[in-house]
Amino acid sequence: MNFNGTFTQAIHELVEQVMPSLVIVRGRRHGAGAGIVWSENGLILTNNHVVGRHTPIVVLQNDGEYESRLLARDPDVDLALLSIEATNLTPLKPVAGARQGASVSPRVGELVFAFGHPWGQRNTVTRGIVSALAFAQNRRGEMLPIVRSDVRLAPGNSGGPLVNTNGEVVGINAMIIGGDQSVSIATSVVNEFVNKVLANNKEPTTSNQHTPQDVI
Amino acid sequence: MSKTILVELSDALADAAEMAGKATVLVNARRRMPASGIAYAADLILTADHVIEREEDITVTLADSTEIKAKIAGRDAGSDLAVLKLERAAAQVAEATKSPARLGQLALVLGRPSKNGIEASLGTVSAVGGPVQTGRGGMLEKYIRTDGISYPGFSGGPLVAADGTVLGVNTSGLANGVALTIPADVAWKIADTLAKHGRVKHGYLGIRSQAVEIPDATQKMLKREQGTGLLIVSVEKDSPASKGGLMVGDILVKVADVPVFHHDELFTRLSGDVAGKSTPIEILRGGQPQTLNVLIGER
Repeated sequence: MNFNGTFTQAIHELVEQVMPSLVIVRGRRHGAGAGIVWSENGLILTNNHVVGRHTPIVVLQNDGEYESRLLARDPDVDLALLSIEATNLTPLKPVAGARQGASVSPRVGELVFAFGHPWGQRNTVTRGIVSALAFAQNRRGEMLPIVRSDVRLAPGNSGGPLVNTNGEVVGINAMIIGGDQSVSIATSVVNEFVNKVLANNKEPTTSNQHTPQDVI
Repeated sequence: MSKTILVELSDALADAAEMAGKATVLVNARRRMPASGIAYAADLILTADHVIEREEDITVTLADSTEIKAKIAGRDAGSDLAVLKLERAAAQVAEATKSPARLGQLALVLGRPSKNGIEASLGTVSAVGGPVQTGRGGMLEKYIRTDGISYPGFSGGPLVAADGTVLGVNTSGLANGVALTIPADVAWKIADTLAKHGRVKHGYLGIRSQAVEIPDATQKMLKREQGTGLLIVSVEKDSPASKGGLMVGDILVKVADVPVFHHDELFTRLSGDVAGKSTPIEILRGGQPQTLNVLIGER
């Protein structure tokens, strides 16, 4: 078996699968970050710190630029949910739960890939493994589950996905600590944030109702 | 379909981290920053010497979160290794690799720097070398370097092969803060000595030598294939070698029943259990094999 070819092919397929869901989130003043398509009908998830004072522009993989609407933002979990007027998008799936035979997901040692635009380099994929499942304290004093990894992140990766080998989101890339360890917001936090936003979002959107079902 | 290979590799790495992680412990023997250790027997923990900054009040936290008191069983600054004895035998024992590290192979750098669980980074074996003089006045017979990241508190933890076996012990204490891995066979051997004697005895002969070829005819007389031996080029006055009868011009071929091809093997044979003991040393003198018993010095 040509292991090398198969391996490269597998990574290539993973990239092809995930890349359509990666977007650029461009503030009006500061630089750009990354974001991911969360639903087919225009929900975009990114970091709160990527969203500046004004609602940002979202650039899809087909170079389509969209004015976004800020549905919600929470500095305490560093997440923001945007909405754009687009349909038939390719959303990413959050990791559903622990895989068979494992007690947690992700697992320490598992291969992960970060997608984003480090230093403005568009659509960059970076490999690493899950280093630790840890907690970070936010301003409210809550302990937030985070995924630490040895993936080399840089500014521009923020808001982008950390995916497992199945292309499922295991975290949203948020920051770098100590220069060599990256922090991603765990999927459990992301799910909770999105579900809460959608449940509270009574305001009707123009064409599509965003319901919690969209998230699954 | 081809994607399964990626998933399989990922699962294998996570399995390896989990397996080795069960034998990777937290060593609490210095202020503020705990370090890691490897259970090399159910009651013995192998760790880095430099992370032990106190003799009393040492605790070890196992993978299952039990905290056990420990005492120093032995330590060796030169190789930056130490062995701790647990108050009770409760640790899950690490499995040392049977195949030595190879350049380019995948390796997980593992540690347990906090009570929150294991931590890991992935790299490849980027160099296998030695012997090398350590920054702590010792000599390391072999070493491994990896491009995986050693996070704070990783010293004393294992470098792990993709099958979950331990390739070596990581420490930042040997090369000015740069992480270096002591290969498992070397580390386990030193650990045995430390557990038994509390310190590493370094044997001393008092010779200078250089590797030379042994002619085929002479190899026949040795009744084995041995292409090289060590030509003794000087013998220090009053040294164990001179007292034992070794002379300039002798070719040293065997120490304590183990053939010696190069300086490395001689060095290896001299550290450990032969120090202070009368040891058979086989030489070629005038082309003839002969064995002398030499009382190996200690320093």
